[in-house]
Amino acid sequence: MKTVKQPVIFAIRNVLTISKREVTRFRSRFTGRSRLVLLVIAALCLLITYILYHQDFVLSKGLYTVGVSSNGPAITDSRFKVLPLDVERGRMMLQNKAIDIYIDPDDAICRSDQRSQYAAGALKQYLEKRELTRIASEYEISQAFPLRIEINHLQARAGDVETQTQMSLSDILGLAEAPAQSPTTAEPTELPSGAVPAPSPQPGTSSTDAAVRQQLSDFEGKNGLPEFKAEFASDKDIIVPSLMEPPIPLAQVIMAFLYVVPILFVSVFFTGSFMEEKTNRKLIILLSAPVTPFQIILGKMLPYIGYSIVVIIAVTLLLRGNVLLALPIFIPVMLFILSIYLMVALTYRTFKDQTFFSVLAVAGITAYLVAPAMFSGVSDLSYISPLTLAVQMYRGESFSLTQYFLSTAPMYLVFFLALFVGKRIFNEEYLTGFKPLYAKFSEAIYLAINRNHLHLSVFLLSLFLIPPVFMLQLSSIVVASNLPMPFALAAVLVMSVITEEIAKSSGIATLLQNRVVKSLKQILTLSFMSALGFLIGEKLLLYLALFVISESVFTTAIFSTGLLVMPLMMHFITTSMVCLMTARFGIKYYPAALIAGSVIHGLYNLYVIGAIL
Amino acid sequence: MNGFLVLLTRELRQITKEKTIMLAIIIQFFLASFSSVLLIGIMSFYDPESIGETTRIPIDVGIVGDTNSPLLGFLKEKNLRVLSFSDVGNAEEAFRSGHIDTVIFIPESNGGIVDMKLVLPELDALETVILMVLQEPLEKYENYLREANGVELYYKDLDGRPHATYEFLYSLIVPMLMLFPAFIAGSMVVDAVAEEVETKTLDTLRSAPVSLNAVFASKILAGVITCALQCIMWAVLLRLNSLFIQNIGFVLLLSIIIAASISFGAAIIALYFKDRERAQFTYSMVLIAAAGLSYFIDPSPFNLITRLATGDYYTSGYQVALYVIPLLILSVPFFTMSKKLLAAKS
Repeated sequence: MKTVKQPVIFAIRNVLTISKREVTRFRSRFTGRSRLVLLVIAALCLLITYILYHQDFVLSKGLYTVGVSSNGPAITDSRFKVLPLDVERGRMMLQNKAIDIYIDPDDAICRSDQRSQYAAGALKQYLEKRELTRIASEYEISQAFPLRIEINHLQARAGDVETQTQMSLSDILGLAEAPAQSPTTAEPTELPSGAVPAPSPQPGTSSTDAAVRQQLSDFEGKNGLPEFKAEFASDKDIIVPSLMEPPIPLAQVIMAFLYVVPILFVSVFFTGSFMEEKTNRKLIILLSAPVTPFQIILGKMLPYIGYSIVVIIAVTLLLRGNVLLALPIFIPVMLFILSIYLMVALTYRTFKDQTFFSVLAVAGITAYLVAPAMFSGVSDLSYISPLTLAVQMYRGESFSLTQYFLSTAPMYLVFFLALFVGKRIFNEEYLTGFKPLYAKFSEAIYLAINRNHLHLSVFLLSLFLIPPVFMLQLSSIVVASNLPMPFALAAVLVMSVITEEIAKSSGIATLLQNRVVKSLKQILTLSFMSALGFLIGEKLLLYLALFVISESVFTTAIFSTGLLVMPLMMHFITTSMVCLMTARFGIKYYPAALIAGSVIHGLYNLYVIGAIL
Repeated sequence: MNGFLVLLTRELRQITKEKTIMLAIIIQFFLASFSSVLLIGIMSFYDPESIGETTRIPIDVGIVGDTNSPLLGFLKEKNLRVLSFSDVGNAEEAFRSGHIDTVIFIPESNGGIVDMKLVLPELDALETVILMVLQEPLEKYENYLREANGVELYYKDLDGRPHATYEFLYSLIVPMLMLFPAFIAGSMVVDAVAEEVETKTLDTLRSAPVSLNAVFASKILAGVITCALQCIMWAVLLRLNSLFIQNIGFVLLLSIIIAASISFGAAIIALYFKDRERAQFTYSMVLIAAAGLSYFIDPSPFNLITRLATGDYYTSGYQVALYVIPLLILSVPFFTMSKKLLAAKS
């Protein structure tokens, strides 16, 4: 591998020259007729998006068929096919399953089968909404929405916090001035006592009217996007039961996803260009020029980073978001996507492989970004995905720097790791060699390790593998959620333990395979360094996560807290066990060694969880 | 015909060799997992009705204030344990020690507006569940107060099952699973056709006793067969998960027709651009545009699968048959372009 020591200015010039070449290459792909064709298609896509955005998007169009009597309600929801029918014919068609439900001014008739029952449920929801809108316009707000509920929060376990600093229930209920009611003897009773003085409601108007009006206008969809709150209900919020809607931030998640789709397209070009130059050996020719692999990678990537930033700014301006916030949220997402595509391009040889791994990457990235964001406002676990931050940005909610780091730090780290590994594996033999996937991975790890600083390399490898391990474990939660609860937890445990053992031992295993490491002492010291690196990374992540994620059984299972010595011991024992077994029986038995190490690791985790749960 | 079969077997063998099917299955497994996370997460947390109907979450409600309120009856109807407290201190102690999950303060009502207070624990997930479980009894109480104020609400006693999950499954998941293989088939056809054109292997193939049309058609058919196999697999998997697809024959037929149409479209794009990179990009863009445009058709392929799968009385093979028209239309430019390519080569 070439090591060209250059002044920074030359390095920058090299990167810019390669970028310019990449831009020219990209532009030459779309000239003349093909550019026109693409522009027309892009314009069409934009037009369709615009039209769909401005009309009620309904997936279940015409799903149910409703028979309505001549004096029945008018149904305008496109989920319902409406047939005007008299009662007799309605009953007959209902029986023949030609309609799912029949409705007149007083009541609705349905069958007992599933389809008819679901239709009734959907119609009930629609009519209730219609009725609420009707009474809101026909009656005074105090008559139509007489019940208002103020939300308050109280720490459930007093032992956890200083009780003096906490509000008491009396403070919350505004009953602090009330005379004390037999504090020691009163037992909860099922019987009414009426002993607590209750403030009488004021007839006519109330201070809560404004809150009700706000909710009513949200309910009727007058405020554009559906309501989303950082919390389902914040302290002192006023809720009206019939207007309370579940906080699905679907619209915001879709908006946030609008950024990801064009970035994915841009990345496909990046990987395509890389693959093409790899297969026609232009990259190898470039290597003989006075440029470093790092400059080649960065130079080729730079135009696509530029295009993606333009996309982020354009989408933000189009959706009227805050560009200064959108950039720090989506730049790590973009770098993460580009780093995955870089690895795909460097590892695979054929276009078909590349297409399928790209599609797989798209599915994985989509799941990783979108699934947690769906829980925005419900669970703090949603901060795993930067899309949650975007959702909050579009709601005008603030987020903390720690939340920002939890969402984006793994993405930045994966990017830097990919750049580093990319630079190390950038040689003719690796780029052009046909090998099975596991051999390619093993070779990449071997090339990433600096043979002059083995201990430091193994330590850093374990440390930097934490973000990908974290992401893989989160994906395992997604997959395991298909199973019922005890099995799901077991599956998460098994998958996370195996992932961790692979991360810790893979570096040493490749050194063993290439006979760089032989002695028992070397294996043990390297295992210790790997365990130490992994533990430090794990604890750093835990420290960050604890700030944000308050409670989750899954995260407890994966990132178990406890003393520092015990987990270090465990990591050391399992890693050295895997590596010693591999050294003794050969690399062929590495999977068996991994299973053995994982069993010990798993038993340790079970012990810790048993102590926690 | 024999030559065509040889080509088709070659294509299919290549697909299996390149682990395409395995990958497609993994991708779709991800999609299915993803949707089940959404199902478990969103549906159980968000679908207020299903949470009360399908789950038995023991929630203990502490009442402070007007313990004669009809709300207590509505809460008990929902099978919630209701404890009345005459003393706020005791209620607080019960809440802090975890004996009750929430406290409701009900002021004495003389008609007019009732301003209640609800005390919730500071735990995101539990808070959501409590609010969702309490919604129905609170709504009943709200209607009771409305009636007392002389406001009449129609259709409030309609029965019916929570429909959100049903609509989600049949309007999104089933069509997505049935059409995703078609999108992959198209992508595969772009790769296969562009590869032949780019690597100039067509000249070699022309020396074989098969026409160029047969060469490309075999690639399209291979993609369509893979798509059909995946759809059948999904139908079986969904059935194992107690999700029944009605009119399964028509649903499969529609998926195959759509896969064939998409594949013809993909082949046209690949033949036009003659290189993989541009063809793949254009294919993706066209696919997005076509999916968007299809929303304005009644029924769109997505919607038609929904209606067939739910056993809609007014949907039948007739609508499916109509989708043969775009397939035939797309096949014309495909065969023309393929012929042109052959002429250019000669």
